[in-house]
Order: sequence, then C-alpha cells, then structure tokens
Amino acid sequence: MVSTEATVLVAGIGSEYRHDDGVGAVVAAAVALATTSTRDVGPLGEPLDLLGRCNDADLVVVIDATRSGATPGTVQVIELDLTAGDDTITRGPSRESSSHGIGLTGVVRLARAVGQAPRRLVVVGVEGERFDVGEGLSQSVAAAVPEAVSRVVELIREVDACA
Amino acid sequence: MTHGAHTNRTISAQGIARVEGEGSLRVEVRDGRVSDVALDIFEPPRYFEAMLVGRHFLEAPDITARICGICPVAYQMSACAAMEDACSVQVSEQVRALRRLLYCGEWIQSHALHIYLLHAPDFLGCADAVEMAERDPSIVERGLDIKRVGNLIMETVGGRAVHPVNVRVGGFYRAPDPDAIASLADPLRRARDLALATVQWVSGFEFPDLDASYRFVALRDEGRYPIDRGRPSSSDGLDLDAGQFADVVVEEHVARSTALHARLEGRDHYLTGPLARYALNSSVLPPLALEAARAAGLSAVCTNPFRSIIVRAVELVFACDEALGLVEAYEPPNPPAQLIVARAGVGTGVTEAPRGVLLHQYEIDDRGLIVRARIVPPTSQNLLTMEDDLRRVVEGGAALDEHDLQWRCEQSVRNHDPCISCAAHFLDLTVVHS
Repeated sequence: MVSTEATVLVAGIGSEYRHDDGVGAVVAAAVALATTSTRDVGPLGEPLDLLGRCNDADLVVVIDATRSGATPGTVQVIELDLTAGDDTITRGPSRESSSHGIGLTGVVRLARAVGQAPRRLVVVGVEGERFDVGEGLSQSVAAAVPEAVSRVVELIREVDACA
Repeated sequence: MTHGAHTNRTISAQGIARVEGEGSLRVEVRDGRVSDVALDIFEPPRYFEAMLVGRHFLEAPDITARICGICPVAYQMSACAAMEDACSVQVSEQVRALRRLLYCGEWIQSHALHIYLLHAPDFLGCADAVEMAERDPSIVERGLDIKRVGNLIMETVGGRAVHPVNVRVGGFYRAPDPDAIASLADPLRRARDLALATVQWVSGFEFPDLDASYRFVALRDEGRYPIDRGRPSSSDGLDLDAGQFADVVVEEHVARSTALHARLEGRDHYLTGPLARYALNSSVLPPLALEAARAAGLSAVCTNPFRSIIVRAVELVFACDEALGLVEAYEPPNPPAQLIVARAGVGTGVTEAPRGVLLHQYEIDDRGLIVRARIVPPTSQNLLTMEDDLRRVVEGGAALDEHDLQWRCEQSVRNHDPCISCAAHFLDLTVVHS
C-alpha cells in the first residue's frame, strides 16, 4: 500500500502466494516507485484492512485481481459512487462474504455505516488467470502490470491537479 | 441450503461466511441421527512446508508470516522459537518482553475482529457486521477502536500493522524508541476500558445450550497467562516440552476431507484456543481480567463453546492490560538481536496464536538450510472437535427449522474462530449455499 502526503491511499489486496492474486501488491509497489511522497507499508491481505486507513481520504485506489470472465490481463477501472444507495456498492449477496469474512463492497458499506468512508474509491482490477497456491504472476497478468500502474498514476495526478 | 425432512437432511455450506479463509461444511442426518459430518478446510501451511525446504533458516519467520493476514506474528514467533531451539539459543528477557508486547497487539487485533465483525452478528440475528453497523454503528465503532490499538502496537513494534517486518530470529532488527512505546500507554488504557465494556456486552447475549467435555490443550507458562511461550499441557494430565508435543500430535487424512486432522497419540482429538487457554490458565489471569470473567458469569472452566465469545472478550481485557504493563516496563533490548550461527539439528517452537497453539518444527543442516518443515496450525488441531460440536448441535437441534439449523451450524464453526488464511481474494467470491 502506498499513500501520498496528500489524501490519496493506494492499496494492493491479495496474496503473492496465490499466483495472480498477488498482482495488487505488485502494482502498488510499482506505484510507490513511480510517484513521489508515497510510502510502502506492505500489501493488504484482506479488504477489511482498509477500515481505519481510509477515513477522510480524498481518493482510495484499491488494486485487486479480478475473475470476471474477461481476457486475462484485462485492466478495468471501476469508479464506486460512494453516495448513499449507489447500486455498485449495495448490490451483492445479503450476507457479504469473501474468503476473509468481509469483501470489498461489504467493507465499503461498513465504512460508510460508521462514517469512515473515503470521499472517492476507485477499484483497478487486473483479470487473473490462475489463483492456485504458488508464486509468480501468469505471463498475461505480468504483462498488464505497466498498464495498471499507469492507470493508478493517472488517478493520483488527477487528484493532485485538483488539490 | 438444506433439504429433506427433519429426519433425513443434508446441511451444506460452501464457503462459510465470516470464517477466516475458505471452508465448507456438510452434515448428513439419517433417521434423526447424524450419519456424517465433514468440515473441509483449505490449508495453505502444507504448501509453505514444501516451499521452505532449501530456504535459509533465517527466512522462516518472514515466509511463514505470509500464511496468515490475521496472525502473522504467531507464525513469526513460532518460527523464531523453533530456530532458536534448533541452535540452542536463549534470547534476552528484553527481547522476550518486546515479543510479548507485539503478540498482544495481534491478540487485540484478531480478537476484536472476531468478536465484533465475525461472531457477534450470529447472536444478534444479523446477517453480517455490515447489517449490525447499519442498525447501531456505535457497536462496530467500538470494535474498530479496539482493533486500531492492536494495529498501533503492530506498527510501533513490528514496523507495520500488516505482516510486520521487524522480527528476526534472535530478536528484532531494530529496538523501538522508548518514546514511541510510551505513546501506546494512553490508547491502551482506553482500549482496556472498551474491552471491559465488550465483556459486559457479550455476556448479555443468549447462548444455545451445549455442554461439551473437551480435552483441552494449551500452553502453561510459569504462573503467567500463556502467549509467547510455555509447555504444552492438557486437561487430562499431559505436561510436555515442545519437542515431545510435536511427537504426540499425529496428523492424518480422513476420507471425507482434504484437510489434515490432528489428534493426540493414544488420546484422540482435542481442543486448543481461548476455551482451552482459559480452562488451563484462568487461575493466573491478572485480577482485572479475572474479575471481568467472574462478573460475566464464567467459572474456572467454560465448556459451552457458544460462550467462547465471552472468553475471547476476557482475553481482550487481559491482552490490553498485559500490553500496558509491558509498555510501562519497556527496556529497549541492546543489542536488539542476538547473532545466531546455524548448526545442524531439529528445533521446535510453540506459541499461542489468538486461535490456539501453533507448532513449528524445522530440521536445518550445518549451512543453515531447511531440510524439513512442519507447521501445525490451531485450526487443523481443532477440526475433529469442531466436527464433534456440529454433531451435537445437529442432534440437539431437531426442533429447529432448516434455516435456523444451518445458522446454528455455521455459528458453531465460528465458535472456534477457524483460520484458513492465505486464501485468494477474488472480487467475485461469494457464499454459495447448495
């Protein structure tokens, strides 16, 4: 995860020991090198770790592997509208769940319920190919890392330009 | 989803919500009796055991910390203890105290997470913590406030809150500045008050009746509540050193599951974790935690697994109180770590992870390369007992409708806070009931 001195927080979520699930941390670390005033405080194992870290942030960028059926390596930028009742956040199973108890949408809803939601949250997803146990990204996912990094850097520059 | 008449039914949950990781459970009832229970859990430590072979012994704490996002310190501590045992090294009391403080941070973080965000919704009829927060945000805020103090300890001592980087075999890379440690005192006092309120809150829940005669296994640590060290002991008389314990813990595959199931040689299955720690060590709890336990209606031993949330809350009080004492007595270790020279041998380490005894055993060669690794996490030790609980819950729940019985089963699994971490985090991962 990297954060600027301003109010931008960039978090890579996932495990590098589950192949492409580790892409979030790889992109976040590269963003830390590509931008100034950032601090690498390690990959987040679970979305829940965002809670308490994104209060009052102008922008939170979450980078995670996706499994949507798109071509592996596809980079998607999903802007979550954090205004109440927004469909992109509230939609989903009634019992919010991920392998670690509470998934990203659940964490966003939870943060909003306790008044700790950021002002803006963008998910940068990189479509994964394999999520079994083991190290290293698939070729298609590794090849998509530069694009994901530049999309995150663009988002940070937009905020800096507005500040 | 459940199907069938009450006398013949199958309860199946793929991906149990609010369990740390990936798991599924399946219970089959035939003619009113439970014919089969299978709690199936993905176990990443097996992969790590293989991956560690050939790696340098000093790498073990950092590599194994990545097994679990919730209890990385436990993995670091058991790995360090095992490597120091292999090399016959005793670390200084200052290092031990700092490790205990770091471990308290993890207990606070993990217990607050489990109590408030994963387990309490079961008792309040909420689908999850999100629904609980939408009903009353102040409760979840209290849990998050406590968890944040755990994070703060992890950041101050461990270098960062997620996967600390300051731990090494022999001690720490850097001793934290005394002012930084002192700054933890006020937040810890507040967290301790919130933890006391937590005990009071959870003790008012309604608990299903279930009385289990467990074989408890926990560490005992010379008159202190065990965290970072101790001798593995059991409620039926075992008192072993770490190596002996490793010899009697037998792990085996059972046909119904992909996970290894642990039992004690000649003694069958057992339970580790808060209920076991409390049963074997409640007499050495400091007065504040002991009074909280008594006020909450706990006697010296608690055998109703649904009341484990109270025990966990009492341990939260203990961890805050203990951490405060360690902060006030802090002396920076100098040097922060002892230099360790590798020597061929076998070493075993046991510590108390938030969810129970975590055993590491390594064989290293004279170049310091790992020849064999064995990691026995608390969850695999508890699997057979969790299945036993499920059997009791289903047999005692004949009057419950399908939905309520499934809810009770999942709640029963969460009683023991199973951790199956290192699981992937797909954005589209959902609970599927089939």
